[in-house]
Amino acid sequence: MAIEIRNVEKTFGAFTALGGVSLDVRSGELLALLGPSGSGKTTLLRIIAGLDHADAGEVSFDGQDTRDRAARDRKVGFVFQHYALFRHMTVFDNVAFGLRVKKKAERPAEMDIRRRVDQLLTMVQLSHLASRYPSQLSGGQRQRVALARALAIEPKVLLLDEPFGALDAKVRKDLRKWLRHLHDDMHITSIFVTHDQEEALELADRVVVMNHGQIIQVGTPAEVYDHPADSFVFDFLGGVNRLNGVIEAGVARLDGKAVRVDGAVGADGPAVIYVRPHQVELGVAPADGVPDGKWSARVSSLHAAGPVARLELDLAGRALEAQLSRDRLSDLALEVGSWCTVDFRHARVFPAKS
Amino acid sequence: MRLALIGLAILFLAAFLALPLVAVFSQALAKGVGAFLKGLADPDALSAIRLTLTIAAIAVPLNLVFGVAASWAIAKFNFRGKSLLLALIDLPFSVSPVISGLVYVLLFGLHGSFGPWLRDHGVQIIFAVPGVVMATVFVTFPFVARELIPLMQEQGVEDEEAAIVLGASGWQTFRLVTLPNIRWGLLYGVLLCNARAMGEFGAVSVVSGHIRGKTNTMPLHVEILYNEYNFVAAFAVASLLALLALVTLAAKAALEWRFADQIAAAKR
Amino acid sequence: MTAAASTTATKPARRGWAFLAPTILPGFGTAFGFTLAYLCLIVLIPLGHMALRAADVGWDRFWAITLAPRVLHAFYVSFGCALAAALINAVFGLVVAWVLVRYRFPGRRIIDAMVDLPFALPTSVAGIALTAIYAPNGWIGALAKAAGFKIAFTPLGIVIALVFVGMPFIVRTVEPVLQDLDAEVEEAAASLGATRWQTFTKVLLPTILPALITGVALAFARGVGEYGSVIFIAGNIPAVSEIVPLLIVARLEQYDYAGATVIATAMMGVSFLMLLGINFLQRWTRSRHAR
Ligand SMILES: Nc1ncnc2c1ncn2[C@@H]1O[C@H](COP(=O)(O)OP(=O)(O)OP(=O)(O)O)[C@@H](O)[C@H]1O
Ligand SMILES: [Mg+2]
Repeated sequence: MAIEIRNVEKTFGAFTALGGVSLDVRSGELLALLGPSGSGKTTLLRIIAGLDHADAGEVSFDGQDTRDRAARDRKVGFVFQHYALFRHMTVFDNVAFGLRVKKKAERPAEMDIRRRVDQLLTMVQLSHLASRYPSQLSGGQRQRVALARALAIEPKVLLLDEPFGALDAKVRKDLRKWLRHLHDDMHITSIFVTHDQEEALELADRVVVMNHGQIIQVGTPAEVYDHPADSFVFDFLGGVNRLNGVIEAGVARLDGKAVRVDGAVGADGPAVIYVRPHQVELGVAPADGVPDGKWSARVSSLHAAGPVARLELDLAGRALEAQLSRDRLSDLALEVGSWCTVDFRHARVFPAKS
Repeated sequence: MRLALIGLAILFLAAFLALPLVAVFSQALAKGVGAFLKGLADPDALSAIRLTLTIAAIAVPLNLVFGVAASWAIAKFNFRGKSLLLALIDLPFSVSPVISGLVYVLLFGLHGSFGPWLRDHGVQIIFAVPGVVMATVFVTFPFVARELIPLMQEQGVEDEEAAIVLGASGWQTFRLVTLPNIRWGLLYGVLLCNARAMGEFGAVSVVSGHIRGKTNTMPLHVEILYNEYNFVAAFAVASLLALLALVTLAAKAALEWRFADQIAAAKR
Repeated sequence: MTAAASTTATKPARRGWAFLAPTILPGFGTAFGFTLAYLCLIVLIPLGHMALRAADVGWDRFWAITLAPRVLHAFYVSFGCALAAALINAVFGLVVAWVLVRYRFPGRRIIDAMVDLPFALPTSVAGIALTAIYAPNGWIGALAKAAGFKIAFTPLGIVIALVFVGMPFIVRTVEPVLQDLDAEVEEAAASLGATRWQTFTKVLLPTILPALITGVALAFARGVGEYGSVIFIAGNIPAVSEIVPLLIVARLEQYDYAGATVIATAMMGVSFLMLLGINFLQRWTRSRHAR
């Protein structure tokens, strides 16, 4: 099911949690809502689910306005950040809940309910724990129970609020892969909230980056990573060098030398140049000074474990991180303390925030 | 220091808590078991016991329903004037029991505002069982709500939201999710409410008229017997009430011990 | 890439909500309506009605009744004894709470449960039991008599009854605060060279003071209105050991409804003012020590 969100606004008192958000969610895709804490991700998710009402704007499912559809009739699967499992019910009863509360006419026979729940528990690999209570489960197991419970009502949309937020790193990674497979099997339109950029980029078909109740950028992980819309996205995705320079007469300059940048340059004044480590080009320093248009830097540390080497460089007092293949590293014969030339294959510049 | 403080605390509690209990039971049995049983088997005592149970059976469920409704409204929703409502619910705690009875006498007594009208229609409230029930309801009014509100506030609304998203109706949500979540706190509140309902003296004394065999509750019967210098019988009935208090405390301790986390919220 | 910038939404954002914050949970109307109706029927209308009846009496008679020497003295006894009992409880209740929270010793659980006895024991039972103990022929009363003074049938007896009634209020309000208090704070103070007494007055007391005041206020309010546990031990001698609630009952028994109403309303008024004062005191201590 496709979801269209048009100019949705939400305020809490004088505080604007969502300031006019528009978004198209495609049928069957896995979409990540990514943003820092307080950016309005949960608020947006709850409005889609019908748990909160927007002050303005509309949300439609497959072209139908949802305004008059109560949360209980929306057929939305919602996985809460802290799972909200019913603690007095067993795992089985938790999963069966959505089926058992259906109106008499729609309610499956108890036998069918059992079959369906068993099937779901097998799918989330928890059939052996069916008679346990939530308090007797680990975090990752609770998470999967919450997911099975949400899936039991055969939702058209699956909404997950920080599904891996409360889990430790290893379990997170496992569950992440598992959720991706599950989505590939079931193809339910799914939206999950996260503030972990790695998670969003690795798992989602498309990523929505939010800040201060606004959508900053929507795109595939590659688009968002390679072409961040602005300095906020660059900063938030991380893994990038920030170098202080200037813009003069429409040209970005670092220590007086021009930097070739992608995209718009912006107004004159102090600026920040963003370069990803793998876009830093290193060269052998010639004996007679530095060739035109390049910078020179000194290697301050070197990590060469694995197929990729990471170098910390000192560029006129600035720390610069670079990544290159081990082969290239041995070609250059660099070691700590040696000098090299630096150039940037792709860089972006944005005016510095005052 | 440690021993001195423990000793001081125990001495204080022994003088103020243990001694009265011992006094009740020893006075009740002062003339032997026979006299004790005779005091209890008296028809007036039996009818007092019956009336006390009846009153609790009416007042406690009423305040239970109120407590659940009030805590649902207060803990699960945000509305203007919430803290005023909370303060008003606590009001009966700070009203003297005597005044709790007086307010009904002024309304429904023979000289009360509705007294003449009630008399003309043959309805008697004051110096009759309805008045006793009303006074008891007033006095025990906040008990259940007081236990439930902090507990439900702490539990938040996520469970209910989860149930509704899963398609449950409002009533199903309440019955299948909310009620099981609060059952121990509820039981705790009912326990305290019941102890007070059965033991209320001041308010009931004002509205009951002390009619033996008719409007006399157990605590009132204790007073009458005591004032007649029938000490053994007075303490015999009192010992039943003391037993009720001990059972209440034991049940309360058991609940606290078993469901500490679910009840702790109410104590903050 | 679609950066959603909607500058078209110019309508003013709706701020806040009129009465009820938006929610999807059902049943507010029913629950709130029932709560309010029940509250009005059981508590507010009867109390308001009493105040109206007091107003009917007229200003002059109101004061004449309230300021009669016997009534004034009853007020003095009620509030004085309640205050004395609350202060005694402040000390001993604090000790009990401290011992229950900080020390582990055999029988602690039973003692902990027993602290609530005054909540659970009917007041008339407490009243006759305390009288049996403190009357001149009682266990402790006899000792006092030998020492040359009387407990029961004097204001001292009233104070004892109110100490019994009010004790759990102090213990139960101070206990959670003591539980939250870090033992490390004390140890830190001690390591900085503070004596035990300095640690107590400078570190502990300020932290527990707000809770202690709350407890004292609750015990005091309960003590002022207490009836059942007091009337037996007080002896009810006019102008010596007569309390306000008893005076109200006495007026009622003489069919002096106006007198009972006026005294009751005056008592509620005074209690209300005192609670208001205590509330201020509390805010003040909170703000002083909240830093
Ligand atoms: N019920 C509420 N009342 C007042 N303010 C609220 C309410 N719910 C959310 N907010 C505010 O709205 C903003 C957005 O909240 P939201 O929960 O959507 O953030 P989020 O992006 O999910 O953050 P996080 O990653 O921390 O969960 C926050 O600043 C929050 O304080
Ligand atoms: Mg959130």
